[in-house]
Amino acid sequence: MSPNLEKLTKVFTDSLGIETQQVSDDLTYNSIPQWDSTAHMILIAEIENVFNLMLDTDDIIDMSSFAQAKTILAKYEVDFA
Amino acid sequence: MSELSTGLSGYQIQLKPLQQADIEQVRLWRNDPDVAQHMLSQDKISTEQQQAWFKKISGDKRQQHFIIYYKDQAIGAANIRAYYQGESLENARAIEPGLYIADEKYRGNILAFSPTLLLNDYCFEVLGVQKLVAVVKASNTAALNYNLKLGYKVESSGDLLEISLNQTDYQHHSKTLKALLNRPARINKN
Repeated sequence: MSPNLEKLTKVFTDSLGIETQQVSDDLTYNSIPQWDSTAHMILIAEIENVFNLMLDTDDIIDMSSFAQAKTILAKYEVDFA
Repeated sequence: MSELSTGLSGYQIQLKPLQQADIEQVRLWRNDPDVAQHMLSQDKISTEQQQAWFKKISGDKRQQHFIIYYKDQAIGAANIRAYYQGESLENARAIEPGLYIADEKYRGNILAFSPTLLLNDYCFEVLGVQKLVAVVKASNTAALNYNLKLGYKVESSGDLLEISLNQTDYQHHSKTLKALLNRPARINKN
C-alpha cells in the first residue's frame, strides 16, 4: 500500500469510526450508518488537514465513495501509485 | 418577495419557480415509488389532478414551489408554505418547507442540504419568520436525521412527528455545512 493510500485509509477509519477492513473502493456515502452528513464533514476536514489542501465544493459533493476520493485527490496531485 | 418570483441561487444550486412546463416532470417524480413512499399520500397523481393542483397553487401567496437545479439539471422539487391559516409567506410567523431530491445520484449526497440552506436562509433572513416547522413520518429516519442535523427539534411523538427549527439553532447547526457548500466553483485542474 502506498503511503498516501495508507494515509487516506486512516483518514476514513478515523473520521467514520470504522475498521480498516471496511475501507474499500465500494465504500460509499450513506451506505453505512457511520458515513452520514456529519461524518462526511469530518472526513472532508481531515482529508484537507492530512493532505494539506482545500477541496472545491464540487469535489466535496462528488466525493461519494472511497474510490472517488482517490480520483479527486489525484487531481490535487496526491499520488496513490 | 421579488426573489421568490425570480428564484434563488446559492450553495451550488438554483431554485427556479415552478412553471407550467415543469409540472409533468414533477408529476412523474412525485409518482415515483422511491419519492412517494415518504409522502403523506401515495396515491398516483393523474395529469388532470396535476393540472388542477398547479392552477390552485399559481398565485397563491401562502405557498411557493420551485424546481431544484444543479449544474443546469433539474434534480428535485422544493416548496415553502405559510404554516398558520390566514398568513401569507410575506407575513408568516412560521413556514413549513418541503423538498425531495428526485435524482437518485444526489439523494444521499451532501448536496441535498443545499436547497434547504437556501430556503432556510431566505425564510429567516428575508421573510423574518420565527420558526420553521415540518411534519415527518417517524419511519422516515433519513429525513428525520437530515432535519436534526440542521438543528430541528422534535415537538411531538407518534407516527407523524412535528419538528421545528428556530434561527439560532439553525445558524449554529448549519455553519459547517454552509462552509463546505459555499466554496468557489471548481476551477478545471485537468
